Amino acid sequence: MNAYIVGGYRSAIGKAPRGSFRFTRPDDISASVIKHLLNDFPQIETKKIDDVVVGNAFPEAESGFNMGRLISLMSMDNIEVPGSTVNRYCASGLETIAIASAKITAGLADIIIAGGAETMSMINMGGWRMVPNPDVAKEHPKWFLSMGLTSEMVSKEYGITRKEQDEFAVNSVNKALAAIDTGVFKEEIVPFTIKENYYDNGKLQTREKVFDTDEGPRKGTTVEGLARLKPAFAADGLSTAGNSSQMSDGAAFVLVVSEKILKQYSLTPIARLLDYQVAGVEPYKMGIGPVAAIPKVLNHSGLNLSDIDLIELNEAFASQSIAVINELGINPEIVNVNGGAIALGHPLGATGAKLSVQILNELKRTSGKYGMVTMCIGTGQGAAGIFEMI
Amino acid sequence: MIRRIKKVAVLGSGVMGSGIACHFANIGTEVLLIDIVPNELSDKEKSQGLSLSDKQVKNRIVNDSLSAALKSKPSPIYKQEFAKRITTGNFDDDLHKIEDYDWIIEVVIERLDIKKVIFEKVDQLRKHGSLVTTNTSGISVESMIEGRSDNFKKNFCGTHFFNPPRYLQLFEIIPTSSTKDDVITFLEKYSSLFLGKTPVIAKDTPAFIANRIGTFSIMELFNNVQNFGLTIPEIDKLTGPVIGRAKSATFRTADIVGLDTLVHVANNIKETTNDEANELFTIPDYLKIMLDKKWLGSKTKQGFFKKVVEDGKKKFLSIDFNTLEYVEAPRPKFSVFEKTKTIDNLRERMPILLADKGRAGDFYRASFYALFQFASNRIPEISNDIYKVDDAMNAGFGWKLGPFQAWDSVGVDTTVKAMEEVGKKPASWVYEMLELGISSFYKVENGLLYCYNISTKSYEVIPGYDGRISLEVLRQDNILWENNDLTIFNLGDGIINAEFHTKMNTIGAGILEGLNKAVDMAEADFKALVISNEGDHFSAGANVGMIYMLAIEQEWEELDLAVQWFQKTMMRMRYSAIPVIAAPHGMALGGGCELCMHSDKVIAHAETYMGLVEFGVGLIPGGGGTKEFAVRLSDELGNGDIRTNAFLNRYLSIGQAKVSTSAYEAFDLGYMRKGIDEVVVSRAYHLAYAKKVALQLSEKGYTQPPSRNDIKILGKEVMGMVYVGADGFTTGNYMSEHDKLIAEKLGLVMAGGDISQALTEVSEQYLLNLERKAFMELCTTRLTLERIQSLITKGKILRN
Repeated sequence: MNAYIVGGYRSAIGKAPRGSFRFTRPDDISASVIKHLLNDFPQIETKKIDDVVVGNAFPEAESGFNMGRLISLMSMDNIEVPGSTVNRYCASGLETIAIASAKITAGLADIIIAGGAETMSMINMGGWRMVPNPDVAKEHPKWFLSMGLTSEMVSKEYGITRKEQDEFAVNSVNKALAAIDTGVFKEEIVPFTIKENYYDNGKLQTREKVFDTDEGPRKGTTVEGLARLKPAFAADGLSTAGNSSQMSDGAAFVLVVSEKILKQYSLTPIARLLDYQVAGVEPYKMGIGPVAAIPKVLNHSGLNLSDIDLIELNEAFASQSIAVINELGINPEIVNVNGGAIALGHPLGATGAKLSVQILNELKRTSGKYGMVTMCIGTGQGAAGIFEMI
Repeated sequence: MIRRIKKVAVLGSGVMGSGIACHFANIGTEVLLIDIVPNELSDKEKSQGLSLSDKQVKNRIVNDSLSAALKSKPSPIYKQEFAKRITTGNFDDDLHKIEDYDWIIEVVIERLDIKKVIFEKVDQLRKHGSLVTTNTSGISVESMIEGRSDNFKKNFCGTHFFNPPRYLQLFEIIPTSSTKDDVITFLEKYSSLFLGKTPVIAKDTPAFIANRIGTFSIMELFNNVQNFGLTIPEIDKLTGPVIGRAKSATFRTADIVGLDTLVHVANNIKETTNDEANELFTIPDYLKIMLDKKWLGSKTKQGFFKKVVEDGKKKFLSIDFNTLEYVEAPRPKFSVFEKTKTIDNLRERMPILLADKGRAGDFYRASFYALFQFASNRIPEISNDIYKVDDAMNAGFGWKLGPFQAWDSVGVDTTVKAMEEVGKKPASWVYEMLELGISSFYKVENGLLYCYNISTKSYEVIPGYDGRISLEVLRQDNILWENNDLTIFNLGDGIINAEFHTKMNTIGAGILEGLNKAVDMAEADFKALVISNEGDHFSAGANVGMIYMLAIEQEWEELDLAVQWFQKTMMRMRYSAIPVIAAPHGMALGGGCELCMHSDKVIAHAETYMGLVEFGVGLIPGGGGTKEFAVRLSDELGNGDIRTNAFLNRYLSIGQAKVSTSAYEAFDLGYMRKGIDEVVVSRAYHLAYAKKVALQLSEKGYTQPPSRNDIKILGKEVMGMVYVGADGFTTGNYMSEHDKLIAEKLGLVMAGGDISQALTEVSEQYLLNLERKAFMELCTTRLTLERIQSLITKGKILRN
């Protein structure tokens, strides 16, 4: 492949539905990240950009109206750059990078902005109007099983205990807190000035604040504390609010260019997406999606698991993360070194791009060569992409 | 000028203060609740870097009390959002605000010196003419006005709420020598009509009326209990519902109240009174030992009872008075209960219980004779009027029969002789009354309730019934028709009332017959029909026993006809030539709820617990309730609404068998209609108001509504969600496979069947047929029948 990632940024991740971004729209967050990204490339005339591809898991309401196109209009002072919205649920933000890379490799494009945006404060899991096909739902209700219940299925089938899950969660939180404390994410986060109008004392008032730090991780999270939480999804379940990913708001984007553009503008490549594969699994245990996707991508790329320096495995649930690690014999030391979604949040359609931005920076810091971003996907899929540092 | 109460200040936020504040918020009053400022910072406040001058700290005590009250169960507030009507504050910063409050209620610690300091401040700050009252339960009210201004004294008295203020009816009004008459008259009317309480004017004597008599009754028992050789569970059995008292009876109630509290009240009475029963207020030795051991009841997890878990099974142990150890007493059994089992009327049960020759009879005679003697000796000490003592015990202690009502039920004349024989001679005025040829304390004549007055030595009409209607009083002369289950009353002015009187007022064939009869009669000769009763509950639902019998015998055709009859009767409530008003109180469940939903208007008492709970017995509402939910959903839908979500809200009310904890909540759950149905707080004026509304609807011109063919259903659009949701709840072990089946059927009926086009307009009858079909299908399942059987035989909801 000869498509190169030359830059990438993300917003800080807000907690949904009551965090910093609770009233901030996904298109606004996205435009701010893209503007910041393009600032690094003053030499590129924005009209030359071929497309803006935006991942989103619930493209309706605030994320509706083909948000991708609106983001392109809002981010650049021209009307020529088109935009699209892509949905592969939790892999959407990685899918868009794959689409960009594939188009460029195929010679269909030279410059694409790819990433994802999600504001779960505004649009719930499942969206506003749930209308499954009644005939299919009757025949195969488990295809529509809620994510929390798929986690319980994984716990049961793979024998993951509550204690293991809570320990995994605490570990994730501790890693994330350490990363924030040492400023690991500082460079990749685009500060966003949040403006809110509100009502107080009979008057309309305004307030402003700069949001630039992930707000998910909770200080003082302990295994004993988490053990006290009630099951969130099943009467006798093991998944809780403490060992499941958080609902979040945020966006992340990367700039992907062709070799031609690289040379034309003398750009420094960071990495390329070496391979990307998606695989299907039983919808009722969608959490083990990576167990199918990871071997598929390794096989296709000719690499071994041992070649991979770092893995960002999206922590939809501690249950499925542990099951994936155990099933594939992954070295836990290289997984989510700066914490995962249980601590930092999971803005569905933005997650793939967010984890990509994070892993490229971490590979740079640790001089690694290969990094993998992988996640489970609702309705029984897994995705895995391998980045190769240049 | 008419006194209006818009703003009420409650000083002191303890259990009573917070509860009183919540109840005023319940009725829509603006409330200021204040308490003292804490002396020192809590650890949490220290860690937050707060100081004693921060508002948050200064209001901590009051805010903590109020939030604890709002979380307590049963809830002190009709609806959580009503709590927004309460503003909190502290004595240092906010007491001055009382200057524009209409009523200031003092509920601080029971210490005269502290109360007097507060009243001195209140006297300076309050506006001229505002009410000031104390909620004291033990201190002389007269002693509180010393040194106060004239205007303060005129507008001051005791107003004694009982705990919990929302639920207990009694409101003792204790005037001082200076209280203006119009203040008393106002409080009587206001507490009844606005607060829904039973006002009883009491003299300023120790513990006033209810606590004096109630504590006597408990202490008399505590002191004599060892004479009878009865176990604690036996006494609770004897002093519970069988004699018209709470299920928690004597010892369980004592555990709930707390033995320390009881002892405190008893000591106070012993010190401040000097009557023939004074010795009985002495704390018996075993009780002292229990206090020392901190066996205080629920608050210390053990009192007279103690719950233990052995081999995973819960057991209730109770104290053995001889050994003072917790033992598992055998199940109480008394032969006299075999005789009284079938007698629903308490007044008919009483003489049989007191005449019993066994241990139960011995116990009853001893304790009731003591009670009769004590109560008669307290007239006129604590009250000039006999009925006030009964009112106080009815409303404050939940005794269905106060001492004089109970005495009437067993015959005054004969009892007096028996009392003499055991040395429990009643007061001399009782003899005086009997000598005048008057043999009962109460009588009903020409629709009026009379009570014997000891000073005029004759019957006098009990005042305060103006503008109220009581079926009990009307029973003698105003019955138009009746069968075993239902009585039709003439309420006058062209309005008739259908009264249920089955067990728990469940709806069976007799009631269906009666309801049809009532509509027929009203259409023929009257203006409107009210459906109300004076039982504990409006109706616990359809009589499932009948359904069970027919299903077990596989009489499907007959069962189908019975369900049809139920549906038709409900539709007759909706479609008749006269307005039908349902006036529920207490439980209005299942069929009782369906009946309300088919009336023209519901006038619900605030304490109405309404719900479609058929899921619990493995069914869906089959008397038009499911249909009615589909109809209401259709009427609520606006253009562009997210229909699936609107459907889901209604679906879950039935699917989760949600029951309102007040009438106000019934609006949110979809059982009552905003803008149509109404809530009244006063049970005393409930029926009178329902009658007025019925008359109004009739007099503004009532036309029978045409049957409906315009119900917009959602069909297939929502069925996917129903299947997915039902499966999810089952997978998550929140419900069983059988629940899933019921949930799917419920969805299909509410969706109007799996019709392709959403918003297709269908008829009510089409929906009723779908509903009945689903109901019948469920009746053929073994698991549903097991659920019904469990309710009938064990009174328990089976989850299978």
